[in-house]
Amino acid sequence: MPEAPLLDQLMEALRCLPGVGPKSAQRMAFHLLERDRVGGRRLAAVLDRAMEHIGHCKRCRTFTERELCALCANPKRDSSLLCVVETPAEVVAIEQSAIYSGRYFVLGGRLSPLDGIGPQEIGLDRLEPLLADGEVKELILATNPTVEGEATAHYIGELARPKGVQVTRIAHGVPLGGELEYVDGGTLSHAFSGRREY
Amino acid sequence: MPAFVLHRRAYSNHSLLVELFTPDQGRFPAIARGIMKRKRQGSGVLQSFLPVLVRCSGRGEVRNLNEFESAGNTVVALQGRALYCGFYLNELLIRLLPRDDPHQQLFQVYGETLNALVDSGDIELVLRRFEVRFLEALGFGLILDRDTEMGEPLKANQLYDYPVEHGPVATPDGFILGSTLLALGGDFSLDSQGLRQARTLTRRVLAHYLGGRPLKSRELFRSR
Repeated sequence: MPEAPLLDQLMEALRCLPGVGPKSAQRMAFHLLERDRVGGRRLAAVLDRAMEHIGHCKRCRTFTERELCALCANPKRDSSLLCVVETPAEVVAIEQSAIYSGRYFVLGGRLSPLDGIGPQEIGLDRLEPLLADGEVKELILATNPTVEGEATAHYIGELARPKGVQVTRIAHGVPLGGELEYVDGGTLSHAFSGRREY
Repeated sequence: MPAFVLHRRAYSNHSLLVELFTPDQGRFPAIARGIMKRKRQGSGVLQSFLPVLVRCSGRGEVRNLNEFESAGNTVVALQGRALYCGFYLNELLIRLLPRDDPHQQLFQVYGETLNALVDSGDIELVLRRFEVRFLEALGFGLILDRDTEMGEPLKANQLYDYPVEHGPVATPDGFILGSTLLALGGDFSLDSQGLRQARTLTRRVLAHYLGGRPLKSRELFRSR
């Protein structure tokens, strides 16, 4: 069988990106070929290097090309705080808000037995030694408030408590600038049960 | 129609693929399009263990989930171990219940079991009750009233073995007491020993129907 023409291969390859169907792939391929060959070359080179060198941080499991990521290696970060999140994207979101100065642990997923994801798959065997070495005083569970996220939070909480680590969970409630009328019942009830003195 | 979400996962950018369990149409997958973009009536309603009302269309294997709203409380009241049990129930349903088979009785049992998990301290008992009813609904009901070898009624003090797909057989080195079997077929009044025996029984039987691949949700209970 003759190999597919290079153009077809390119379009097919571009479709591995999320949200890119045949039409968008075609558009991207033609754009790169017609108008931006330099950009295309750069993309290819960087993509190649990134796929080759980016791995997981030894400590927090986020993406990095070094052994320790910039956040874990930074001595100014408060190492007594450890925040558990599901994905590297959440680390970025929290970092942008600049409210948190501790360290992270990225699960890369959540407990979801129906998808075949158990405690092993989300790297809890790596979290345990972090908790055991005594440096972490508070563990902040910032998994999403979905059923799986809650199960994950509970599981990790059970894991951490016997090690004498204080375990906290991020608050859930009404979004800033939101209106009560449009907030769903579940969120409202969380907001009420978690109310604070004012 | 009333439904429970057994499982959900992201599908393309803003949609969810949910596995629904309904009384009249059984278990089937459906796509909720654009749901992650909506602010109101968003994906929070479509969570496992919450009762919802849904309207679906389409005849293929995967339906379209056109409308849905919450039918009752909107907070998952299952916490901790009870939540793990919920995953266990859902995994059983997804693994063993064929798609598109109506199961009105089982739907009710499932709902009752979720409520019982919230209220009851005795999770084991709740799970055993569900398992027995579940097997019944699948057509693999346990025989819990007579010795299948002799055809005699079960004796409370006799030990029995239970070959899968066969039934209780009286034998001195059996693993389960007649009284336990009778309780499973009746009012579920079991002491801790009875519960252990019942667990061995349902595990063996379920393992048989599950085939080689074990249940993932059991891992959550381990290692503590």
